[in-house]
Amino acid sequence: MDIIWQGLKEGFLLILSLDPKIIEITLLSLKVSLSALFIAAIMGIPLGAILALKEFPGRRTILNITYTFMGLPPVLAGLVVFIFLSASGPLGYFRLMFTPTAMVIAQVLLGFPIICGLTARAVMAQPQEVFDTAATLGASRRQAAWAIVRESRMGIIAALTTALGRLIAEVGAVTMVGGNIEGETRVLTTAIVLETRMGNDSTALAIGMVLLLIAFLIMLIILRLEKRAFKDERRIQIV
Amino acid sequence: MSAEFKLYNICKRYGQREALNVKELEIEGGHIYCILGPNGAGKTTLFRIMALLSKNDEGKMWVLGEEVNWNKHQIVRLRRQMAMVTQTSFMFEGSVYYNVAYGLRVRKMDKASINKKVDQCLELLGIKHFAQQSARSLSGGEKQKVAIARALAVNPRVLFLDEPTSNIDPGSALDIERYIRYINQELHTTIIMVTHNLFQAQRLAEKVYFMWEGKIIEHGNCADLFRAAKDERTKSFLQGETVF
Repeated sequence: MDIIWQGLKEGFLLILSLDPKIIEITLLSLKVSLSALFIAAIMGIPLGAILALKEFPGRRTILNITYTFMGLPPVLAGLVVFIFLSASGPLGYFRLMFTPTAMVIAQVLLGFPIICGLTARAVMAQPQEVFDTAATLGASRRQAAWAIVRESRMGIIAALTTALGRLIAEVGAVTMVGGNIEGETRVLTTAIVLETRMGNDSTALAIGMVLLLIAFLIMLIILRLEKRAFKDERRIQIV
Repeated sequence: MSAEFKLYNICKRYGQREALNVKELEIEGGHIYCILGPNGAGKTTLFRIMALLSKNDEGKMWVLGEEVNWNKHQIVRLRRQMAMVTQTSFMFEGSVYYNVAYGLRVRKMDKASINKKVDQCLELLGIKHFAQQSARSLSGGEKQKVAIARALAVNPRVLFLDEPTSNIDPGSALDIERYIRYINQELHTTIIMVTHNLFQAQRLAEKVYFMWEGKIIEHGNCADLFRAAKDERTKSFLQGETVF
């Protein structure tokens, strides 16, 4: 119990003191996870929508693979990136191993299936009426497809928050391809692992608090955006 | 007036089940048509094929003077001359204004023209004060008015109405009927309507098609059909519904 109190106290002090080291690893955590989220979203949202709306051979198989990869173990993603980026790997020439770029690539591998799969689910959940309404008002197939994606916003935002939750808290892949190098690739999660291994449990807990606070603030921003988008939406009321 | 729709030997199957088998159907421009029949008669299937929302498995069809070949450009061009209002009209997430402007936006009209047209349509339906309100927060009757304003905004040559008043109160239903008559008489829009309300059919329709098990078994002038239907199935349907 003492460790928890000590950790909470240290956590508050760390946040209040604006420790430069903590700020550095926090900023790197944000940079890596938000970059990965952005890239995964740029690829995942359109592909998810295409998988949901377009009929083509192998669509079902691709969807099943995407759903399977939603549960991809981070260490496996890290291992794949490691094999590709290591000096003897096919992309070793680029010397990206143990850089934040390698960490972003590994996290994109983790985030992309989540965003793609959940976007596909959200779009598929839309009723036929969305297409019918858009089409009978003169929308082309592309315009009608966009109307369906627009109506799926709530589900797409949920996909983004789920992916971000996974990325910001992820430790296996970033350790493997980042190496937890101080001042270069150390992020909040790898710092927690390191402090715990060194026996500094309360410091590890304190960094954990910072991580939670960051996650909470990002979710708050996303939820505010969601609230603004759906401010007039009627919600189910259970009385 | 020329024929807006000509359908010959139109067939639609869902698996082994034949949902529609229409030998011949012609819709002349400028009239109000009503498609009647019990549940499962194929009214909605026919409606969706005519509105180019569903492909027929067999047969030929001419829509607004063109033989339908289901080319994507042709379909969009033809659909842009039609509009549809259904019994629970789907409202896009957004304001009433957003919904009414949708058809104009996809036609890439300029903002000033869109504003003017949306204002006109909202004014006509008496819902201008709802313009900035969320369309999904409105009552059933109000939503139907938005759906009609949205359809009117695109100046359709043909308006499809799929049980447009089945989910709203009698007062609002009469309002909607008034607008339907106005759209047909003043704007000369051809109206094709599916309804279960025989009184409404009698009040509005000039011509009636009666469907049974995917086929059109009787058609003609509305008053004549209600007075002296020839087919026993039509008679029993009309009498049954009239009694209740």
